[in-house]
Amino acid sequence: MTAAHRWIRGTRHRLVPGAAALVAASMLAACSSPGSGGAGEADTTVDPDAISTEVGDEEVEITLYDGAGLKAIDDALIEAFTEQYPNITVKTRFDPDDVQAQNAPRVLASDDPPDVARINALSDIVGNNQLTNLDPYAEAYGWNELPEGQLAMYRVDDEGVRGSGSQYTVASGFVLTGIYYNKDVAAELGVEPPTTLEELESTMAAAKDAGVTPIMSGNQTGGATFAVQMMMNNTVGKQPINDWVFNVPDATVDTPEALEAVEIVKGWVDDGYFNDDANGTDGTVALGRFVEGESLYFFSGSWDASALQDQMGDKVGFVLAPVGDSGSPLGMSDPVSNFGIPAQSDQKDAAAAFLNFLLSPEARQIVVDTGAGPSGVGDTPETEPGSLKAEVQDAFTQLVEADGQVQFVQNATSGINADWLSQTQELLAGRVSPADYLANIQGAYEEQLQ
Amino acid sequence: MSSILGTARVGEAVGGPVGGRARPRSRRTTSWSGWLFALPALVMYVVFVLRPIVTAFQYSFYDWDGITASEFVGIENYRRVLTEPELLGTIGHSFFLIIFFTLIPVTGGLLIAALLQELKLRGLVTTARTLLFLPQIIPGAAAAIAWVWMFSSNGAVNQLLRAIGLESLTRAWLGDFTWALPSVGVIGSWLGLGFCTILLISGMGKIDGSIYEAARLDGAGFFNTFRSVTLPGLRHEIGVCVTITIIAALASFDIVLMSTQGGPGSSTMVPGVLIYQLGFTESRVGLASAVGIVLTVLILAVILPIQRFFREV
Repeated sequence: MTAAHRWIRGTRHRLVPGAAALVAASMLAACSSPGSGGAGEADTTVDPDAISTEVGDEEVEITLYDGAGLKAIDDALIEAFTEQYPNITVKTRFDPDDVQAQNAPRVLASDDPPDVARINALSDIVGNNQLTNLDPYAEAYGWNELPEGQLAMYRVDDEGVRGSGSQYTVASGFVLTGIYYNKDVAAELGVEPPTTLEELESTMAAAKDAGVTPIMSGNQTGGATFAVQMMMNNTVGKQPINDWVFNVPDATVDTPEALEAVEIVKGWVDDGYFNDDANGTDGTVALGRFVEGESLYFFSGSWDASALQDQMGDKVGFVLAPVGDSGSPLGMSDPVSNFGIPAQSDQKDAAAAFLNFLLSPEARQIVVDTGAGPSGVGDTPETEPGSLKAEVQDAFTQLVEADGQVQFVQNATSGINADWLSQTQELLAGRVSPADYLANIQGAYEEQLQ
Repeated sequence: MSSILGTARVGEAVGGPVGGRARPRSRRTTSWSGWLFALPALVMYVVFVLRPIVTAFQYSFYDWDGITASEFVGIENYRRVLTEPELLGTIGHSFFLIIFFTLIPVTGGLLIAALLQELKLRGLVTTARTLLFLPQIIPGAAAAIAWVWMFSSNGAVNQLLRAIGLESLTRAWLGDFTWALPSVGVIGSWLGLGFCTILLISGMGKIDGSIYEAARLDGAGFFNTFRSVTLPGLRHEIGVCVTITIIAALASFDIVLMSTQGGPGSSTMVPGVLIYQLGFTESRVGLASAVGIVLTVLILAVILPIQRFFREV
């Protein structure tokens, strides 16, 4: 330390001019305002006359960019796709899921962007002019005949509001949330899977009385937010929640209807229905403890179906969240990967052929085999009868038929997930009132949209 | 940590020839050829250290998402950092961590080093040194994951409490609003203790043994020797320990991100994690840069007086 000081002092007269010159040079390099130019100039529209649904037989190479957690499903889709289109080679690039979500805007802005990429913050990326407007392809391939509930997830209007406007993406498949229940524990307690809120609450009371944890929640990673939204779906309704997630102007969750839902969950907290260490338990650990039979219910999604079927066999069941007053089922469900074509891609026809393939029977079967819901429309793909995956598929079919796919509230802005997480942790710890809970989240939402 | 020590060592090595006192006649050529040798490192330093600092400073005056055109907002980002309680709260947390990252490792390290010195058992000292230094070779992120398991409901910490009849104290430590931050601090203490102990032991090796002998002949006990001989003899080492561990506390990132991500609620949120969240998750590059600059200034404001203090004592 002291020797370093001596050295710096001794050489200061020569160090200063040299360092000053270097700093000045680096200052000059940075003097223009950040972010001007770059990807903003890319062309996001394609000429309807210039596109083709025929990819010919010329050798073409496209690159697909996705989260690493989706590698297995993407690889299977690509293999089936290249069997149909032998002249197209699909290279892949994977980043860890959360890294991919954060990096996508920068990867799309790079000199060598992918041709197909998972897009999380859709309206931001469309607003940055980084995605190809797929309307001409939708016309050519007939994508605009897809169910309205699916199309809403692909569309962004001129104001950056999602839900309507031009199409920018196609999903590889859909995740679905609901309630897993342990069949052994249910049999011991003598309870049936719930279909109404009353049944859900009475079965949880029965479990609590018998000394079984009603809901195993990994709320260190936000597990209890699913419970909050399941209740909100019924009290608030699908459209207001989707509007909020799609950033429709003046949308709010700070409403009496939403408050009713949060009060219900607060009641469960007070009754001790959640594992008392929920805030210190992550999703993976919670799943493990549900498998061990520590709880009756586990509120989660189709992404856990494969693991649960492997570990619990026929000892586990899946139902949609209880139906509310509307009488029709609602559940959070959005794309496994919402694939778009970057504006700077130079193989848009081949990329669009891949997106179209996602709607084919082969692709739908591949997706269903992984436990997710299929994209597009058609016959329900096969599942092993009586298996957990079959139950998940049945639930997904019910949900699509009832047009009940609700967006995840955590996806409303790229930063809002952190606020739902921290506020729900406060709620479970009894440190925030239901009214403040919603006001805080709405406040953060409005600030992030500014 | 290692880079700071590294710099000191590089300084010592370069100090001789660059000082140039040995060969005054070729002073001019020597100094320029010296720069030539330093040039590759200097270029890297400017490109990867100075330039990012300058650009971060520039970004902090803009509202920018990292992609599209930015908007100049003047000192608005700084106003928010210095007025919003949530942002200020994170700075409070990192100051609280100084207790665990600095106070405990330095005092603990001093006691252990003094005890080892007193015991004078060669084998024991070597074993203790190895054991204490082990945490240093484990990356902070990996250590944090191991501690997450130990702090979990069924983890080692709670098992131990149950074994000694303190069942009532068990809890999910990292999920508890009161205990999460101290628990994160314990991970920092565990990482820092070995580093401080090793540095202090080697510092003690430099204290002339005859002083200890003289103190003993004068009838000084363990605590008197510790206060009058060991402490003054170690002031430079203590200065280094305090400096490095305070920086580790104020700029903490890996341990917190891997163990709690700032939760539950925002009870363990520190500026390092906040910068990451603002900059990369929320794409608010300007605000993230402003937090970073404020943090840097704050660290300098804390460290510089401490440096001065330990030089003058």
